[in-house]
Amino acid sequence: MSKLKENFNDKKMTAVIILSCLGIVSMLADIFSYKKALWYIVLAGVAGAIVANLNEKSNAIIYDMLLTDNYAIWFSTLILALVLLWFMVSKDQYESGVYNSSDNYALILFATVGALILTSFSDLTMMFLGIEILSIPLFILAGSNKKDVSSNEASLKYFLAGAFASGILLFGITFIYGSTGTFKLDKIADWANAAGSNLPALFYTGILLVMVGLAFKVSAAPFHFWTPDVYQGSPMFVTAFMATIVKGAAFAGFFRLFYTSFTSASGSWALILSILIAATILTGNIIAVYQSSVKRMLAYSSIAQAGYILLTVLLSNQEAKYALLLYIASYGVSTITAFTVLYHVEKIKGTDTFESFTSLSQTHPLLSVVMTIAMLSLAGIPPTIGFFAKFYLFSSVLKSNTSYLWLIMVSVAGSLVSVYYYFRVIIAMYGQHEPIISSEKKQIPAFYNVLLLLLVCVIIILGMMPDVLMSIDNL
Amino acid sequence: MEQIIFIILSLAAIISALVVIFSNNPVYSVLSLVITFFSIAGHFVLLNAQFLAIVNVIVYAGAIMVLFLFVIMLLNLNKSSEPSAPLIMKVASSVAGGLLFITLLGALRQSEASAGLSGGNIGSVESLGRTLFTNFLFPFEVSSVLFLSAMIGAVMLGKKNLKDS
Amino acid sequence: MEIMWIEKILLVVIVFAISLGTAAYSTLAERKVSAFLQDRIGPNRAGIFGILQPIADGVKLFFKEEIIPANADRFLFVLGPSLFMITALMTSAVIPWGKPLDLGGRMFDLQVTDINIGVLYVFAVVSIGVYGIMIGGWASNNKYSLMGALRASSQMISYELAMGLSIIALIMMSGSMSLKEIVAQQSGELYGISFLKGMNWNIFYQPLGFLIFIVCAFAECNRTPFDLPECEAELVGGYHTEYSSMKLGLYLFAEYVNMFVSSAMMASLYFGGYNVPFLEMLNLPYNVEVFVGVLAFFTKIIFFIFFFMWIRWTIPRFRYDQLMKLGWKVLIPLAILNILLTGFGMILTK
Repeated sequence: MSKLKENFNDKKMTAVIILSCLGIVSMLADIFSYKKALWYIVLAGVAGAIVANLNEKSNAIIYDMLLTDNYAIWFSTLILALVLLWFMVSKDQYESGVYNSSDNYALILFATVGALILTSFSDLTMMFLGIEILSIPLFILAGSNKKDVSSNEASLKYFLAGAFASGILLFGITFIYGSTGTFKLDKIADWANAAGSNLPALFYTGILLVMVGLAFKVSAAPFHFWTPDVYQGSPMFVTAFMATIVKGAAFAGFFRLFYTSFTSASGSWALILSILIAATILTGNIIAVYQSSVKRMLAYSSIAQAGYILLTVLLSNQEAKYALLLYIASYGVSTITAFTVLYHVEKIKGTDTFESFTSLSQTHPLLSVVMTIAMLSLAGIPPTIGFFAKFYLFSSVLKSNTSYLWLIMVSVAGSLVSVYYYFRVIIAMYGQHEPIISSEKKQIPAFYNVLLLLLVCVIIILGMMPDVLMSIDNL
Repeated sequence: MEQIIFIILSLAAIISALVVIFSNNPVYSVLSLVITFFSIAGHFVLLNAQFLAIVNVIVYAGAIMVLFLFVIMLLNLNKSSEPSAPLIMKVASSVAGGLLFITLLGALRQSEASAGLSGGNIGSVESLGRTLFTNFLFPFEVSSVLFLSAMIGAVMLGKKNLKDS
Repeated sequence: MEIMWIEKILLVVIVFAISLGTAAYSTLAERKVSAFLQDRIGPNRAGIFGILQPIADGVKLFFKEEIIPANADRFLFVLGPSLFMITALMTSAVIPWGKPLDLGGRMFDLQVTDINIGVLYVFAVVSIGVYGIMIGGWASNNKYSLMGALRASSQMISYELAMGLSIIALIMMSGSMSLKEIVAQQSGELYGISFLKGMNWNIFYQPLGFLIFIVCAFAECNRTPFDLPECEAELVGGYHTEYSSMKLGLYLFAEYVNMFVSSAMMASLYFGGYNVPFLEMLNLPYNVEVFVGVLAFFTKIIFFIFFFMWIRWTIPRFRYDQLMKLGWKVLIPLAILNILLTGFGMILTK
């Protein structure tokens, strides 16, 4: 008994505990009728989790299952910060009366627990559990607009694709366990190092299956077919959550697994992964050009961005960690900003097509400026953080291995294509002038104006001073 | 003796799995999936993992497949109303599945059982319980978050929207 | 080795015969009990006190015309009742009927097989039993049958949960899932009082658990007050509306076999199985003691079968929503409470 207590004092994972409890608190909001205060409670709780996470004892091994190294702490902090941001911008959607905020918040918080586990696991069972805890709440949230058929469709498609991916992932994990006899990441790495070039085919097959399973989760081509429909059908801020936090956590987990365990076997998977990356970048960018709905365009853009982020997994070195952190931060903040603007535009105009942005600069100058900067950041144009993230990523790939020049060329070409569709939004806002209907003049609440300005500041300030994130030592 | 039982069970599993796919009647598909689960439970028994065998039957055959059958009966899906997939899709999926099959076959043919995985008693309730509450205590506890969110989700989807009530 | 096989097969045959025989005479008993409770005489034409009545009923069912509805799925229509009967009979494999007999130094086990997860085995087989009803109800191609089948399966799945939870508390105390072990543990002294030897029955430790278990057992056997699957007033005849002759017979008969097996489960899990209080004081020869034990076990079983009938002719049927409410909102929370109480009790008494 006392030993258990000792363990508990020693090994913390406070953020996970805070978020789980917060989920339960938010679940009970309906029964004890403190739903009005729920938003504030959740915000305070997530902020508390960030503080707790930063104070986490570093390099602690928790039950031999989690490892709180600097990588884990900083990625958890980044994800928690994005979650905090998400709760702020999504307030309006959950006060509109269609969604029950207490259930939705509980599911989001539980999904965040899964995301935190994905950044810090040191055991394959925890990785699997993390992915499942992250996915299952989202299967449900995707369908949370129950009267909307496309939301139902999104939920079902996401569930089927997710379940299929989990099956393949588990298959892969079984093969890895079968060949190495362990679930621990470091022991797998030791085993692979000891075996040298004499690795059994079972191990290779395991790695490939795990890679396919994870590629499904991060929606890399050719495993991306579920993404557009799911992103389009889900309620706006659920899509925003999927595109930023879920994706960020899935990449953090993907990188952690491959960096820790499979680097010595990289000969078997590097080529396949680079083909996957090229396919993802090309598919995402090219199909995005043909979209008429901005939400669907953002879905394809998120597929394309997944291709860039996968470059860090291909790289799998110390520098790649910084590139990953920077890219997820940049992509996350810009995407959340874009979705927030899109939400308000859709609310005012009723649709989310490119046409709905027409002459937005006249009715809502602030929204237009914010959207412009978000689009510039996603396209990777200075002075935004998106530029620096892409630049740092490409240059670190070239620095470590020049044989990937072709891949970088594909990426740059993809980025050029992406400029086209990101600028379509900007041109619609500023280029065309049409008579304005008075109903479209409705302004958004002041709270959001402040929030959006804040987000723009973050995008630009981080773009000018990316050293803030680069100065973390020993990531 | 064990070999013969293994072959019989494997054949049953494979044949019934094929019936699941090729049957036109969804009810027959569900029932043959149940037979597949039984054959797999039989394999667990051969591996001396009775607990897993029984839990496999209770959870999959006894609960999940009953719900499947439930839905199929209520939707009255007894005729095959599904449009058949285009030929190119059939060819592509056969090729993809076949490649995966060859990869798995190649991987498994070379491999030998790694040491420390085979033990006489690893499937018994005692050793399973001990492992679950010592080495895997943390995942065990964390999975409660998973179940809780699944439960909340079920309730949420079953409830009416706020505006309707 | 070979003699063991023969012994086992013999035992299986005997157990089958006893299960079927008890079930057959339960049908007569049911009619007699109902007659008694309603102040009638009951069947008394075939044999003395109607003792040949079950045989007459069986013969009647066998010679009736076999009807398979035109639009029914023929294969599944036949599979349904067969599956229901098979699962009903399979459960009895793990029940310990008595202590091992001493046949001149060789112990003859009065249990078909002692697997270390006996309790779970029973659950698995019971959960498969649902298929018999569902397949039969669906294959009949009749809306009343389908409704009955859906009611039966949702009822059985719902009550299985509470039943499983009530058993968990018992397993926590016994530390074993083998029925043989659970029954053997009940031979000790109740509450440590040396006078009450052979009375260490689980009912004295798990009264709430037993209450939940018996309610669930009624629901699992589709017996009144939970016999909604065959609720005549609403569903004509329930899931077996379209069945006739011996296939109907199998459904009706399997229900009595189920009743017999669940009575045996209740007796062995909560009422000491073959243990008889104070029996050791008589200093009987070992084999006689075994024999008395088996007799005691059957007495307990017969009492429970009578209890099933007693309830049937006293308590009216539940409404369907009441049934579901009872299962999900009362029994499951109670069972979880029982687990908690048992846990606290175990910590305190340790």
